[in-house]
Amino acid sequence: MKIEILELSDNHVRFILKGSNPAFANALRRIMISEVPTVAIDEIVFLDNTSILYDEILAHRLALVPLKMDPSLLELVRGESDLSKFQIRLILDVEATDGPMIVCSGHLKSEDPKIRPVSDNIPLVKLIKGQKVTLEAFARLGRGKEHAKWSPVSACSYKYLPIIDIDADLCDLCGRCAEYCPHNVLKLEGDKLTIVDPLSCTLCRYCEKVCEREAIHVKGDDTAFIFYVESTGALSPIDIVSEAANILKLKAEDFLSKLKSHLSAPEGEVDEEDRPD
Amino acid sequence: MKIRIIKRGKNDIELELEGEGHTFCNILRRTLFEDEAVEYAGYTIDHPLIGIPRFYVRTNGSESPEEALIKAAEKIAERSAEFRDEFLRAVKVHQGKS
Repeated sequence: MKIEILELSDNHVRFILKGSNPAFANALRRIMISEVPTVAIDEIVFLDNTSILYDEILAHRLALVPLKMDPSLLELVRGESDLSKFQIRLILDVEATDGPMIVCSGHLKSEDPKIRPVSDNIPLVKLIKGQKVTLEAFARLGRGKEHAKWSPVSACSYKYLPIIDIDADLCDLCGRCAEYCPHNVLKLEGDKLTIVDPLSCTLCRYCEKVCEREAIHVKGDDTAFIFYVESTGALSPIDIVSEAANILKLKAEDFLSKLKSHLSAPEGEVDEEDRPD
Repeated sequence: MKIRIIKRGKNDIELELEGEGHTFCNILRRTLFEDEAVEYAGYTIDHPLIGIPRFYVRTNGSESPEEALIKAAEKIAERSAEFRDEFLRAVKVHQGKS
């Protein structure tokens, strides 16, 4: 297994994983989307809401505000199915005293400075003079499989590493493949066809279609993957990827220990517990 | 995760993995394929929302299906740890470059 980082920023990472298989890549992708925990608003007590939005609409908007979380929380709940041990209160108390205003995520006051909205500029509701919103919001840890508001990634995908094969004997350098390629992967320079940007090839195979001499062939390498992980800002992309690997490891170990306890127990003793009819 | 053994034949086993889905079942199935002794490995999830995965493994007899499952799960755990370490190493290399 070999990994090479292509791009890394506060919000995204792009890397190549070599020497693996699609099932492993897919397990990681699924875990990043639906099993890496984050914090999101889950319960709200409305004390006053004279805005034009109904309580439930405003509640839904508040819940979708990504909250930056402390990565040490991940260790606190690693391997546990019950995430209710962590809760935090946020307060929103805004009144439009002079003229219209837009209530933004920045108006949310958090009890814990480590947990706060990722951006202060997410609009929640617009108020006109005299309107008021006062509420208490409770954020808790959750997982994306329960609700997408707990998903730490806004985009998480992988594609096979492209293999572009040009048969020099058949190629007549017509340049059609380079001309039609939607991502400018190929380039015809003088009497040479070069692959300038193989990683941005999407395996659309349009070049194969336009090549009259069938000189170009594109396929995906199913042992190598280009991953793209984009964080909502709740966690750093590095934490998301490494935590996904931790979760997969724990899953396998949990399976192993449960299976072993089944094998050591006398027959018929462990199963059939609270089995629904 | 909760495991329930549904059937144990001579060289095959059928179990239910409550609380799991495609995420773990598919990688387990794929990892079992790497084992020469495994003749068949597969699973079904009856309902996309409320289904409990049913996993089925059959071996050729040179190894019990439980042994095959244990070997596969160990491999998955090993690879996940390897992936995490390799990823963190790659991040360090990348940060050193820029």
